[in-house]
Amino acid sequence: MRGQHPKPVYNARIREMPLPRAYCFRALCCLLLIVPATVVSATDWHGLEAQLARKIAAGTGPGAVFLEVTNRSSLSSADVDEIRRGLWTELAALGVHSVAADQAAATVQVSLSENAQNYVWVTEIRLGNNESSVVMVTAPRTEPAAGERPAVPLTVHKALLWTDEHRILDVALPTGTPQIMIVLEPESIVLYAVQNGHWQAQQTLAITHARPWPRDLRGRLVLRKDHLVDAYLPGVSCQSTTVAPLALNCRESDDPWPLGTDPLALSAFFTPTRNFFTGVLSPGVRKQTATAPFYSVAALPRDQYTLWIFSTTDGQVHLWDGMTDQTATKWSWGSDIAGVRSGCGPGWQVLATARDEGAGDTVQAFEIADREPVAVSAPVEFGGRITALWTDSDRASAIAVAQNSETSRYEAYRLSITCSR
Amino acid sequence: MKRTGFLLLAAASLLLAVEAGAATRPHYGGTLHVCLHAAPASLDPNQAEWAGSAALFGLLFDTLVALDDQGQSQPALATAWQAESGNQRWQVALRRGVTFSDGMPLTPDIVAASLRAMNPTWRVFSTGDAVIIERDSPAPDLPAELALPRNSIVKRESGKVLGTGPFVVTQWDAGKKLVVTARNDYWGGRTFLDSIEVEMGKNFHEQMVAFDLGKAQVVEVASEQARRAATEGRRIETSAPDELLALVFEREPQSAADSKQREALALSIDRRLLNSVVLQNGGEPSGGLLPNWMTGYGFLFPVEVNLTRAQQERAEVPETSVWNLGFDANDPIERVLAERIVLNARDAGLRLQLATGASDIKLVRVPLASLDPQVAFTALAAALGVAQPRINGSSLDDLYMAENALLKSQRVIPLLHLRAACAVSKTVRNWGRTRGGLWRLPDVWLAAERP
Repeated sequence: MRGQHPKPVYNARIREMPLPRAYCFRALCCLLLIVPATVVSATDWHGLEAQLARKIAAGTGPGAVFLEVTNRSSLSSADVDEIRRGLWTELAALGVHSVAADQAAATVQVSLSENAQNYVWVTEIRLGNNESSVVMVTAPRTEPAAGERPAVPLTVHKALLWTDEHRILDVALPTGTPQIMIVLEPESIVLYAVQNGHWQAQQTLAITHARPWPRDLRGRLVLRKDHLVDAYLPGVSCQSTTVAPLALNCRESDDPWPLGTDPLALSAFFTPTRNFFTGVLSPGVRKQTATAPFYSVAALPRDQYTLWIFSTTDGQVHLWDGMTDQTATKWSWGSDIAGVRSGCGPGWQVLATARDEGAGDTVQAFEIADREPVAVSAPVEFGGRITALWTDSDRASAIAVAQNSETSRYEAYRLSITCSR
Repeated sequence: MKRTGFLLLAAASLLLAVEAGAATRPHYGGTLHVCLHAAPASLDPNQAEWAGSAALFGLLFDTLVALDDQGQSQPALATAWQAESGNQRWQVALRRGVTFSDGMPLTPDIVAASLRAMNPTWRVFSTGDAVIIERDSPAPDLPAELALPRNSIVKRESGKVLGTGPFVVTQWDAGKKLVVTARNDYWGGRTFLDSIEVEMGKNFHEQMVAFDLGKAQVVEVASEQARRAATEGRRIETSAPDELLALVFEREPQSAADSKQREALALSIDRRLLNSVVLQNGGEPSGGLLPNWMTGYGFLFPVEVNLTRAQQERAEVPETSVWNLGFDANDPIERVLAERIVLNARDAGLRLQLATGASDIKLVRVPLASLDPQVAFTALAAALGVAQPRINGSSLDDLYMAENALLKSQRVIPLLHLRAACAVSKTVRNWGRTRGGLWRLPDVWLAAERP
């Protein structure tokens, strides 16, 4: 409720008024510090218990009361027990003691409730036969962490890189020292560096564009040798300068987006007002220079050739070897796929998205045997819809971005595969 | 052993892959066909009765502020807002680069004029890239108020209303049909759909027929029909309980006897039975005006029938008056609900009779206007026609005390909060509604049937 913000202030961070990155970083650090604790216990209830105990004691005065605690919220029974004990301790310190109902001067009924934003602890206090009075305290709700499925032959690992309330389009981690991370957002590229063991925002480079971005915005970071990074967005390409402090030059462009690096170089034209590649390639794969419009592509190097797999906008999967184009319609893969060099088995796998109804999207590793997909890992769950999946520049991992359905925040992960068979 | 395990995993994974839907990116293109019961005669938020057609406003208009599902204010046409001097004076910074559907830019002058038209008591004027809003009294909820559909920003020009929303009107047959087309220059990004066709003024039966014939992909379903429609294999999407069903007295209690009769009536109504039998669990019994999911304290208001106490209250009144109970004669479920309430009252010794004309009590349905509890409460009071409640502060305790005071005035007897339901074709993807019940049509896309 607004009562927690007595002074009028600007609303939360907005695009036109960028908040210092350091603030976001501190917030993330706080979040990371809090999350492990919330798995064990939803939150530290001590402050809220003390606050409610004071309100109860003010209503009953010192003496004997009959206290009952009822859970009307999503709190676990363990949390409720902890709160009940904590409340008793706080009340006792204020001279309020628990007795049986027939010996009590007052009846105190505590209901642990909640609304869309907060835990709401409501207490009805009845003194003798008087009409009951109501006091309440509130605290922001926390969300439980999701569990993971057990490991299997190959294991897809996901490591959280960054989280932000605004959409993350891509993340790149250049090798070298000092260690930096580049995050592509719709309106900016943000550079982070490790300081004292934590990512600290160093510089924000604005992306200029004349037209509104399309919905389901996509973007790609490509690390370069002669300068730091290029960014590709629909109808716009940006190039960073070479020396710090960096600058970013953006221009309207229909240049093809690089989708691989040597020896697996392939570029494709992206529609400036939509969310897919047109299907026109530059250069082509041997004799083949165009395919159906597609969302994503994965490369699987073979001994004699490279198998290119396109996830096309019509829900099909096209397999290219430079000579033939085979269409698969029953694979039930999602729109986003990425090739990853794991060194396991044939050396490369395809990560493909899928939807787990009732939960978030998943990513699973596949190998292609006789032009058929064979799942080689358990699906890895994400807490929401996957909005980006790109092969990383080192090709040994992929970058996945998911929007957490509980918090609505975007979470960028690095996905890697380990051999366990 | 390892090989066997691997094959089992592969088989299981293939099965899983077939069963799970693909995580497909949104497709652009297509026309969504929608049916609505509401039949607004105008698309001007200043004139239309927004309650039944709020979904339409979101297609054509934007508000300065939007509320997320937690009821928190988020930027929309406004990028920032700040209060001065005790929350009475607010400065709202506007987003740049926004255009109306005629291509003209959004300006602070137009915003100010639009807000003044809807809120005659506000003093609104432009300054630079912002507007200043001055209120007579502290308005800590102003951002949430600005998110109300009725405060959509509208440009009025030679009898036409234009908005900055994601679609532009291409056909408008008042009260019957609306066709809108996607704007490529929408500041929030072009919608996935090319167009939306809305057939209006259709009753629930007509809507379901259209749905089953494939002529509409989204139709409304009566709350009491939602469960049955789902068991018949349709995809039914329901909202949180966000529409208040209540009895509203025309006047304040006129005497102590009047008060006792009202108390007896409130105690005699079996809300759980109304919900389970008449509404087929299409709502939740409620003793409060705001639902528990919004406040967290709604359970404090009792919902249980207490016939013994009702009869005792009634017995203390020497002679009871006969009350006419009004309801919407065009709504068949309201008649059934009203009949059931008359029977409940009779069990307590009260005399109610159904009336379609002048009435002492009315059975009303009022959708919640906002996800902000205080704004929703204030708007509810206005819609119910009762005196504007006085809320002494911005805490939950303050809101509870105001709601409790309003209920004790005995002008309103809350009965239930109803869920809105709609049938949605399986080709409609990314369907969603805000927790306040508004459809998120700009995010919807249409999937082709998988080959």
